[in-house]
Amino acid sequence: MQPKQDFIQTIKDNEGIIYKITRVYAKDVEDQKDLYQEIVYQLWKSFDTFKGQSKISTWMYRVALNTSIAHLNREKKKGHKVSVDSEHMDRLHVSLGKVQEPQLGSTGSQWQEQIDLLYAHIKELNLIEKGLILLFLEGKAYEEIAAITGFTVTNVGTRLTRIKQKLKTNIQK
Amino acid sequence: MELEEMKTLWEEMSLKVEKQQLVTDQLIMEMTQQKYRNKFSKLFMYEASGAVVCYIMAIFMLFNMDKLDTWYLLACGILCVGFLAILPFFSLRSLNRIKRLEISNYSYKETLVRFAKSKKRMLLLQRLGLYISPLFFLMVLPVTNKMFNDKDMFQSDISAFPWVFVGIFFVFIILFSRWGYGCYKSMTNSAENVLKELDD
Repeated sequence: MQPKQDFIQTIKDNEGIIYKITRVYAKDVEDQKDLYQEIVYQLWKSFDTFKGQSKISTWMYRVALNTSIAHLNREKKKGHKVSVDSEHMDRLHVSLGKVQEPQLGSTGSQWQEQIDLLYAHIKELNLIEKGLILLFLEGKAYEEIAAITGFTVTNVGTRLTRIKQKLKTNIQK
Repeated sequence: MELEEMKTLWEEMSLKVEKQQLVTDQLIMEMTQQKYRNKFSKLFMYEASGAVVCYIMAIFMLFNMDKLDTWYLLACGILCVGFLAILPFFSLRSLNRIKRLEISNYSYKETLVRFAKSKKRMLLLQRLGLYISPLFFLMVLPVTNKMFNDKDMFQSDISAFPWVFVGIFFVFIILFSRWGYGCYKSMTNSAENVLKELDD
């Protein structure tokens, strides 16, 4: 398979990962779109060098999370926005705006409110905590979280216990 | 909302997002093109243009250094050339470091450390710039006056000088510096907090 097609398929198979990470780290939909582009670009840049030493999702989380930190730093420095848009990007902008209602459980708008609240609680956490809780919610094992973040497995466990406690307090407020 | 509820909700959303198909083949390929990466490059270009202006001024001053015929004008001239040459160099170097960072090579923790450190360096540089600019203004006036008009401001008629504008400028600089110091302090603290927490 051609590298380009291979890459496209990889992104399509894992686009949920990029969506969730951009939603946690971006401050609004416009910013989310910029970060989405940046992550795809960084993934493309390192796609050749990724030779399957780790799971594809581990590599994706690592690049996406690192790009998000870099994006935050750059965002503060650039001072103003210079966005290059196309018809396709506009469509992405609209799609990112809202994740459609689920068919299960509560009604759509209530579900959407809960999702917004969930993201709001995560956004209140600091950068280290955000990354760790995101991977925890993604159902990653401590070993994989350690491989992505660079913390030791024990440290991941300790930190996550603290973060869960912090989240619990924040939620009860 | 309990933590368990959060996790269930996250799983529900994940399932939903996976079915959404937000991006098309064409859009993915568009996003891999350099044209989408011009935001940071633009900032780099602004900084680079500023540096070019500074270097042109520094070269001009160097070529006209012989016009500075007193020790104090010469001292002012040398300091001005120094500021014009060194500050843009450090600023560009700092931006370049951030630009060249290979994101896929590092873990999340390493990236956080690198960015917190580079942020601290950048803030220190900007703070230095803030303090140096009024000094630079004080020194560049007599230097350029001598180079362009062949007048020694230190020996000319003091009453003819537009002191009101200098006064207004200095009040502005002091207010701006105080505001800037507050901003830098809080940003530096946040970078330091990240580093401290990573050490825990």
